[in-house]
Amino acid sequence: MTELLAPAGDLERLKIALLYGADAVYIGGLAFGLRANAINFNEEDMKSAIEYAHKLNKKVYVTVNILLHNKESNLLINYLKKLEELKVDAIIASDLYVITQALEKTNLEVHVSTQASTTNVETVKFYKELGVKRIVLARELNKDEINQIQKIGLDIEIFIHGAMCAGYSGRCVLSNYLTLRDANRGGCSQICRWDFDLLDEDKNIITKDKNFTFCTKDLSLINSIYDICKMGINSLKIEGRMRSTYYIATVVSCYRKIIDSYYNNCKIDLKHVKKVLDRVANRESIVQFFDGNYGKDCNYYNNREEISNQDFLGEVISYDEKTNLVKIQQRNYFKKGDYVEFFGPNKTIKYQINEIFDEDMNIIDVVNHPKQIVYLKIDEEVLPHDFMRIDIDKI
Amino acid sequence: MKTLIMISNLNQINLNVDGVIIGLKSLSVNMPAYFDIDDLKNIKKEIFVMINKNMHNSDLDYLKDILIKLNDYNIKGVIFYDLAVLNIGRSLNLNYDLVWGSEHATVNYNTINTYSKWCNYAYVSNDITLKDMIEIKKNTNIKLMVTLFGYLPIFVSKRHLVKNYLNTFNINDLSKINYMWDKENTYPLIDSDYTLVYTNFILNGLKEKLKLDYDYIVLNSFMIEDTLFSKVVDIFNNVNIKNQDELDDVLNSMFNNLGKGFFYKDTIYKVK
Repeated sequence: MTELLAPAGDLERLKIALLYGADAVYIGGLAFGLRANAINFNEEDMKSAIEYAHKLNKKVYVTVNILLHNKESNLLINYLKKLEELKVDAIIASDLYVITQALEKTNLEVHVSTQASTTNVETVKFYKELGVKRIVLARELNKDEINQIQKIGLDIEIFIHGAMCAGYSGRCVLSNYLTLRDANRGGCSQICRWDFDLLDEDKNIITKDKNFTFCTKDLSLINSIYDICKMGINSLKIEGRMRSTYYIATVVSCYRKIIDSYYNNCKIDLKHVKKVLDRVANRESIVQFFDGNYGKDCNYYNNREEISNQDFLGEVISYDEKTNLVKIQQRNYFKKGDYVEFFGPNKTIKYQINEIFDEDMNIIDVVNHPKQIVYLKIDEEVLPHDFMRIDIDKI
Repeated sequence: MKTLIMISNLNQINLNVDGVIIGLKSLSVNMPAYFDIDDLKNIKKEIFVMINKNMHNSDLDYLKDILIKLNDYNIKGVIFYDLAVLNIGRSLNLNYDLVWGSEHATVNYNTINTYSKWCNYAYVSNDITLKDMIEIKKNTNIKLMVTLFGYLPIFVSKRHLVKNYLNTFNINDLSKINYMWDKENTYPLIDSDYTLVYTNFILNGLKEKLKLDYDYIVLNSFMIEDTLFSKVVDIFNNVNIKNQDELDDVLNSMFNNLGKGFFYKDTIYKVK
């Protein structure tokens, strides 16, 4: 069965990702990962994360995918040994020194990071001979290319959802040269989202209505998941170690439903799932390179005007079966009369808010304070870590 | 220490240097010009061929043909980015060397030593400090080359980012080179087979040449006018401890956007 692989920036998000249907998560440690500015996992958190995942029979992969400089490269072996001791299920690496050291000096399983931009069968053969288990393919590949590479016999992982780099991974150091932040060591400042003026060869400005930017739309292969499962791709990866719990829960549960519907041969309302996914994104999503089309429709000229909706209303803290009261921590404004839905890993409950109580059980009409604790009365049981969002069918 | 130049035209092969780095059509990126393989016949100096695009499956047959043909061209080596070149190359009986030159990845001696199993040379990145470059030399036995003059490539995309913009907004512009401008700096930008971006400055490693005991230094002629480039070559050939300040002044008088890149400043690894 195809693995659903989710990002986890910290322990809370890891638990949410696994709870909502991810088969595996990828995380970063305090060093050597390409999201140096995420919270990331210290040794203790990593240990807890791995124990938690393994109890659920799920996996944890750790990114060790920076390009090492001299001083870091001398600290590597101890770190790899520690990861081995913690029983991580695999490391994700791009630097050949990291890959070979892990294979020669530890029993760690090695996945080649997308940072290595693997785009062809010969490169995959090279890694196979080294003893690598899996390749996370470059995002520039189309379906036919992926099919050809898959025949080499290594496990194949592809990105199915999330933000895209504008350039080949590993070949963009715009961040280094424009902001001093090292893109290949976890400091990417996302210059590809910046606005510029475009000049012609005589240095005259030719920018019109919208500024020039490299900004690309996001990736979503939601309409191709059945095809991808049929192809036998081993792992489907969701981008976004710095994303929120709500985002992770929503995206993971959507793809979980689609993958399960393929393997269980049952129907799913794909249109609705797509609508849910679209609502949680802050940029438009398209297929990108998978269908071989990467023309002008892939770019995003919107003056960085990213859509941030207020669909996420609150997170369930607890539910009292005797009183039928659900305790909620508010995340966005809501009020009496709103149509909402509670969604959890296994079910979604639609509900119209009829009564709201504050912490002292006074009746209130609106919930407009950040992280305000309130109670709602709902007959059906909801669970901690369920989320409350706007009922998008009522929008 | 030998001097190589990345050439923009075949006239530059007559400059007083030890060798050239040549870009080939359909197999190279980030080069000042792209030549046919037969152009190599006219060059009587050390030749390194740059084969550094990201290879897709459809490129592989042609790549293999070229690697085999290059056996007949008396070249010194092929500088590669993609491991496909290494994997195909090591299965062939090549009479030239493979040079690991993965642009931004050649940044530490341990990884360079890992590649030494298959390669006799590495082309060191400009994304590291001079101190790191010197440390690499001290800790590896393979031959090293590094760029010490020229605009540096900082971005490669398969997307047509300029054409996409021009098409979206119906802008008619036939520029061969564009620039992106952030109100302070202009960055050369080319959208041909790929979209390529270069630094806003020309790297000036004249004085650093004297501190680096590398086997080869590389001078890149990209966007440098022929006469000026010829002078640059002379300056680099003649620099020594005594005249370095004087020649550096001359170089600075020729260009108004020389820079030191990361020679003396390290990139930030973690912001928080």
